[in-house]
Amino acid sequence: MDWTLNLLLLMLLLATAISVIRIKDLLAAAVVFSAYSLVMAILWTQLRAPDLALTEAAVGAGVTTVLFIITIYRTVRKED
Amino acid sequence: MRKAIVVLALVGIGVMLIYAVGEMPPMGDSGNPDKVHIAPRYLEHGEEEAGASNVITAVILNYRGYDTMGEVAVIFCALCAVVAILNREKPGLSRTSMDVSGVKASVVVRTTIRFLVPVIIFFAVYIILHGESTPGGGFQGGAIIGASIILFTLAFGLPESTRKLPLRFRIPLESFAVIAFLAAGFTGIVFGVHFLTYLMPGLSEYAAETIRHIMMMVIEIGIGFAGGIIFTSIMFAMIREDQCELQPDSP
Amino acid sequence: MNFNRIAHNLNYVSSVVLFLLGLYAVAVKPNLVKKIMGLNIMETSVFLFMVSIGMVGSGNAPVVTEGVKPATMVNPIPQALILTGIVVAVSTTAVALSLCIKIHEHYGTLNASEILGTGGPF
Repeated sequence: MDWTLNLLLLMLLLATAISVIRIKDLLAAAVVFSAYSLVMAILWTQLRAPDLALTEAAVGAGVTTVLFIITIYRTVRKED
Repeated sequence: MRKAIVVLALVGIGVMLIYAVGEMPPMGDSGNPDKVHIAPRYLEHGEEEAGASNVITAVILNYRGYDTMGEVAVIFCALCAVVAILNREKPGLSRTSMDVSGVKASVVVRTTIRFLVPVIIFFAVYIILHGESTPGGGFQGGAIIGASIILFTLAFGLPESTRKLPLRFRIPLESFAVIAFLAAGFTGIVFGVHFLTYLMPGLSEYAAETIRHIMMMVIEIGIGFAGGIIFTSIMFAMIREDQCELQPDSP
Repeated sequence: MNFNRIAHNLNYVSSVVLFLLGLYAVAVKPNLVKKIMGLNIMETSVFLFMVSIGMVGSGNAPVVTEGVKPATMVNPIPQALILTGIVVAVSTTAVALSLCIKIHEHYGTLNASEILGTGGPF
């Protein structure tokens, strides 16, 4: 396990999580959430969990993001 | 004001949790408490006891089979809840406002996806079938199948994908995972052992291992295809819009 | 506080911070979709915590192969539990988001304060 890469991924994770919470445009927040899931998938491979990486890449970055985008498309885009 | 109270409470929780982190054993140490109890047994005997060299598949299907069966039921219940809230699409009538507006994905996108989707599904089937020996299995492959069908729907629109995957094809597949699990479980009872036992008594070693292999494969395929179709159905139910539906011709 | 230990357990620390960030979004943000995003961040933080517990420093993935000793593999139990957890997380998200769509059809807004008829931040 590469501790430098681990640290870098953790910082990316925190940065994307803060962005998801701060961004007012919900569509942009959903896209950043997809990036968050992708960083998480890379972190799973670093933690020796290839099964979780496969699932997270398909579910987190794929299915969940699409469900969020469908909901935003059918409701409102701006957070107030 | 209430925001300040929430932030204060969060800081309090955070200090307590960070203090607890300071008391935990160092991460990555091979002598930590979680690695001395039952994990060594799973790792050393998982292959002959559970019949899968991927220990995660062994834990999911064999050692913690009840847990996984309940979890499969949870996904099925989630589909039931979404369908109860939003209703299923009506065959041939349901549209989204994107389909109605006449805006189509460009030729480049559609051609790429037409070539890509079969390859993705092929990869997913590979992952499902090789879940016993390499990383992968039912849940992973199911998620990939669901994602590929969602990709197809986003490029070609709801009417096209509901024509390719009609309701009469999806409804039996959605419950396939629960049924496969229950069938495998009751096979053990028929042979006179416990529910969800894979090794049948009174058979030769070769026959017992073959039956175990077939049962695990049936459950993996069930979880994979049912999971993928359930994600697809949830997405179809969420994307259809009532005001965009065509009216059926009056008789 | 044992600061040496905290500096060594950075994965646990970041999962605590992610949990608090998610809890902040769930408690303070008025928008329901934003609350669900916060819920997802909380879920992934717990997943990160559990898988980090099972980590072995120079370990291998828990797949039995030639020439890899079982003693050098990471703990498979948290990974198996979290694998089902990820799929349950997306199921709960789907149910919550379909409720959001129905709420928007009924009330015309996704702002929790407006739906409750209060002016507060909730």
